[in-house]
Amino acid sequence: MNEAVRNPEEPIIEIENLSISFFTRKGEIPAVMDFSCTVMPGEAMGIVGESGCGKSTVSLGIMRDLSNIGKIVGGRIKFRGRDMGDMSEEELRAIRGNKIAMIYQEPMASLNPAMKIGQQLMEVPLIHDKVSNDEAYKRARDMIASVKLPDPERIMRSYPHQLSGGQQQRIVIAMALLSKPALLLLDEPTTALDVTVEAGIVQLVKGLGKEFGTSMIFVSHNLGLILETCDRITVMYSGEAVETGKIKDVFDRMRHPYTQGLFRSIPLPGADKNERPLVAIPGQLPLPQDRPKGCNFGPRCHHFVEGVCNAAEIPMIPVDGHEGHFSRCVRFNEIDWAAMPPGAKKSSEPVKPGAPVLKVTDMRKYYNVGGGGMFGGGAGRTVKANETISFMARESETVAIVGESGCGKSTLAKVLLGLETASAGSVTLGNDEIQSTGIENRSVGTVSAIQMVFQNPFDTLNPSHSVGSQIIRTLEKFKVGKNTAERRQRMLELLDLVKLPRAFAERKPRQLSGGQKQRIGVARAFSGAAKVVVADEPVSALDVSVQAAVTELLMDIQRKNKTTMLFISHDLSVVRYIADRVVVMYLGHIVEQGTTDQIFAPPYHPYTEALLSAIPIADTSVVKKHIVLEGDIPSAMNPPSGCPFQTRCRYKSLVPDNLCETQLPPLKDLGNGHASLCWLADDVLAEMEPVISFDRDHAAHEGEPEDVVPHRERSVPGGDPGFAAPPPKRPRGKRAAPAAGRLGDAAEEAESRGRTRRQETRDESGGQKAGAPRRTENSTVAPFKQAEAGSGRQAVDPDAPSAFEPTEKENGKPRRK
Amino acid sequence: MNLEFVGATQIVLGILARFWPVWLSLAIVLGASYFYRKKLGLYGQLFSTGVGIAGLAICFFWLFTAIFASRIATFDPLAQVAVLKNAMPGAIAPETSGGGVYLLGGDNLARDVFSRMVFGSQIVLIIAPAATLFALMVGITLGLPAGYYGGRIDALLSFLANLVLAFPVILLFYLLVTPAIVEMGIPRWMAGVFFLFPIVFFLTLFWTRFKNRPDRIWLYMGLTIVIGGWIYASLVFNADPFRILSLTPNQLNIFAAVVFASSPGVFRIVRGLTMDIKTRDYVAAAQTRGESPWYIMLWEILPNARGPLIVDACLRIGYTTILLGTLGYFGLGLAPESPDWGTAIKDASRLLRSFIHPALPPTIALMSFVLGLNLLADSLREQSMKD
Ligand SMILES: Nc1ncnc2c1ncn2[C@@H]1O[C@H](COP(=O)(O)OP(=O)(O)OP(=O)(O)O)[C@@H](O)[C@H]1O
Ligand code: SF4
Ligand code: SF4
Ligand SMILES: [Mg+2]
Repeated sequence: MNEAVRNPEEPIIEIENLSISFFTRKGEIPAVMDFSCTVMPGEAMGIVGESGCGKSTVSLGIMRDLSNIGKIVGGRIKFRGRDMGDMSEEELRAIRGNKIAMIYQEPMASLNPAMKIGQQLMEVPLIHDKVSNDEAYKRARDMIASVKLPDPERIMRSYPHQLSGGQQQRIVIAMALLSKPALLLLDEPTTALDVTVEAGIVQLVKGLGKEFGTSMIFVSHNLGLILETCDRITVMYSGEAVETGKIKDVFDRMRHPYTQGLFRSIPLPGADKNERPLVAIPGQLPLPQDRPKGCNFGPRCHHFVEGVCNAAEIPMIPVDGHEGHFSRCVRFNEIDWAAMPPGAKKSSEPVKPGAPVLKVTDMRKYYNVGGGGMFGGGAGRTVKANETISFMARESETVAIVGESGCGKSTLAKVLLGLETASAGSVTLGNDEIQSTGIENRSVGTVSAIQMVFQNPFDTLNPSHSVGSQIIRTLEKFKVGKNTAERRQRMLELLDLVKLPRAFAERKPRQLSGGQKQRIGVARAFSGAAKVVVADEPVSALDVSVQAAVTELLMDIQRKNKTTMLFISHDLSVVRYIADRVVVMYLGHIVEQGTTDQIFAPPYHPYTEALLSAIPIADTSVVKKHIVLEGDIPSAMNPPSGCPFQTRCRYKSLVPDNLCETQLPPLKDLGNGHASLCWLADDVLAEMEPVISFDRDHAAHEGEPEDVVPHRERSVPGGDPGFAAPPPKRPRGKRAAPAAGRLGDAAEEAESRGRTRRQETRDESGGQKAGAPRRTENSTVAPFKQAEAGSGRQAVDPDAPSAFEPTEKENGKPRRK
Repeated sequence: MNLEFVGATQIVLGILARFWPVWLSLAIVLGASYFYRKKLGLYGQLFSTGVGIAGLAICFFWLFTAIFASRIATFDPLAQVAVLKNAMPGAIAPETSGGGVYLLGGDNLARDVFSRMVFGSQIVLIIAPAATLFALMVGITLGLPAGYYGGRIDALLSFLANLVLAFPVILLFYLLVTPAIVEMGIPRWMAGVFFLFPIVFFLTLFWTRFKNRPDRIWLYMGLTIVIGGWIYASLVFNADPFRILSLTPNQLNIFAAVVFASSPGVFRIVRGLTMDIKTRDYVAAAQTRGESPWYIMLWEILPNARGPLIVDACLRIGYTTILLGTLGYFGLGLAPESPDWGTAIKDASRLLRSFIHPALPPTIALMSFVLGLNLLADSLREQSMKD
């Protein structure tokens, strides 16, 4: 792109019109077409897109590591000005792994399980730089320290399997950095990790450019992660780059309908299930073989115009006013970017929770592991998968159960469904105690009253039976309908309910896409008279653009049937969007529970606070406090003494008498049903700051081309605590929900005031338009330094004075009604 | 003795001509399958590689040979034409014995080698697949609960399976055909138990699925009991009221021995597959709607284990064929005059130094059939991995 011309510096890598195809039995599959991008030294380029759009193929193409069926069929990749296509095999090998290093999703793919970490790391300088053994050892140890792993000496002596996933990934990064690469390719480096561990890696990756001068290409499906780590972004769709530009330009003023669709379908802080529902992108990704003529996004685009969009292949078109911003859309200057797509859901009434349906009291579930076998009992160890779980769910209510892997969410679900029986305590469904009734002893009524939607769409349906027959079987088990004909009819109605064509009844699951399978999963769960539906991460394995549709569907049906939903998730942004109440779990304990607003505003439980700060949010106006937890989640086989969270808690020092390490804290009642499992005293709790707040000033002007507002970078974070408070209104674009313009400023302020306790003290500045820098003042209340890494790069500099009055500008903008 | 011979070309042409029903059927079946391969699923995909086509062609060749054996063979496999004892290929039978040519010569007892090989395919192609099928039934019926429940059931069954696997197969066969043991009725007993498995299998299969569907359940259960009972009575007690099916005591021995020796292998595969598949969400989904364990095993897990099982069955038929050959070679099992390939090889081997030609046809037949099955299994495995 023309950037290279303007910039005197030489780009690290220039990709020009790259096309890659795979040659398979079924013929040529064009995986990447006409892909261009340039990465400057020290710059981080993010590539986002949904599964199968060709992100990984691009990075493999740069590495020239396409398997024998993949071939570069067009375009060039220039590394430091030299065409890699002209290089000899030897030169390429020298560049690969030395000048260009790649980090994969699965850390173990890059580590040798039979070699000690130290040896593996030392090999890099030994081979590449031919240094002495001592020097190599020193470099390896220093590198381990600089990827922020504790106790480098011990790590050097360990084998890969002795480290946790997060630590392994850090080692892989260390190994890549040791060869001092000019370019680092990261392909979903955190997807296999837990959120709080991911936050640590992100923190590390972010500093790499500055610290080592390494350029990066960061491949991810998560817009929030890209925002946190990259300077520029390329959005890919169906094998093509559809939009590219600076992060800020693309996030705030996107000029491709697909990018806008992506933003509208993820639960950003502005979304609300009642007032500003998510807007899904209709349809699904075309297969590479049957891409349409012209714009690939055409069949799913609301702005499609016959004869314009499908006339010819569309080139990348520069966007006025933004440097280096391009979009592969012919109509972006004609589109009303604020308009909602036709048929987008309007706001709906909030549900009123009814009588309690499900009550869990002091439920425990212990597993005995080890022992058994034919020749002996043998006393095994006890794993405490669930400890004193107590919560309640009412009719029509959505209760989210949040926690990372191994926290006992799935065990809880199993006990509720009767796949396991509780070790102690009670579970009451309606009026029946079901904690010790296994599924085989439950009545048909009970079985159909509590059902589940599973996580993995590729696993949720039996691949051997047709979709219809699987639903019919469920109906038969639930004694719905008198005969096969009636059940068949009911099955077709269920297909209607989940908005799938009736013809799908005859299909086998493999003929359905992930989202469609998940819809069948939903239909199956609601096929009896389900009172409670347990949804175990129902959308986390789906593509972003499909997630919204399935989430909305699930909520629609729930609303209609007045079903109680237990929504299990690790993703707090979805939870905030969907849940009425939230239960946070850690290592088998409920550490905090309360209404969604209570959970998302201070005072927090220390773990909730860390979890909140760990979610990547794809919104440039969000100011987030970065709390990086040390270490990993302890194993449930070997939990810590005292408070379950004590090994990673940064507040521990504020509790006297070493209580955290010795005694399990009491469940502290914080009023109105808000409870937290923590020793922290009221005064410490009262001083907690919100983790997420809005830079309203930025939000008010986001998306304007630079030449319109020449200087508006410097602004002040607003005072909204948490994201329980309503987000700023946006003059254009991104989250243009119908209700966005409804609330006046005053109403918005009043509402945020009413919602949260700590608002009072900060209210004035929240109401001020461009007041004094507040964060400096606030930072005095944070007494801990060790883990807090300051606010992220989303935050703008708080110390700089504001150059203009935002109100005027805001009024000058067209407002939607 | 002055025998007249036909030339080598005529022998080759003669053999090719005798196989005409096989060529015709092969052309029709392979041609049609190739034409419709896009619609035939996994079977159709076999036609995309040379290995698959070769495997299918060889297997079909022997299948059709078995079917049309009486049309292809030139002589009765047991008929002896004294002058043609150990005659070389192409010997012309004297007019007195009905004429014709011993295309591949005569064996030690002056029988036609070619016809015996053709009829031998019948025995092999009935016993090997049938015994494998029974072994499959036994292995599946025991492997499913072992894998699904785990724990003690698994420990016990796996222990037994390992015990059988650890036992030298040939020794086992020797034992099973020892007259003393046969008199004690042990093989009949074993067959009685093994042949019960398919009946139990199908009864459970239908019961778990249709127990709330009175319109179907009685029909299916009734059919299973009637057909199963009939086969059971004919095979185990040799008491077929219609005299269609019968199993000589020798064959029964072989059957029982082969099933006994093969089922632990099937058991282990099924157990492993079950342990893997039972962690899938669709199994959990079946559990949460209250399905019984046997429904889940038979209807949710088993269908998804079919791929590796089919591949294994192919290999196992080949293995059983070799086993039958080995048994025949040791003179165990089938009647001494039986034309099956193993017995034929054994008979020919005694005079191998003087006459090699009677040994070759059954050997080549056995080798090619097993090769075909292995090619087929390879190709099946490869194709099923592709999607
Ligand atoms: N080895 C291969 N053989 C045939 N087609 C392939 C191969 N690898 C990738 N493809 C096809 O190329 C396209 C792009 O795949 P790619 O792996 O680059 O997607 P991706 O964006 O990385 O997706 P994900 O988010 O799932 O990792 C897809 O349509 C895929 O089916
Ligand atoms: S070119 Fe047309 S179809 Fe494609 S994104 Fe733009 S408006 Fe939509
Ligand atoms: S009890 Fe102590 S260790 Fe546990 S969360 Fe509270 S402060 Fe942290
Ligand atoms: Mg990928």
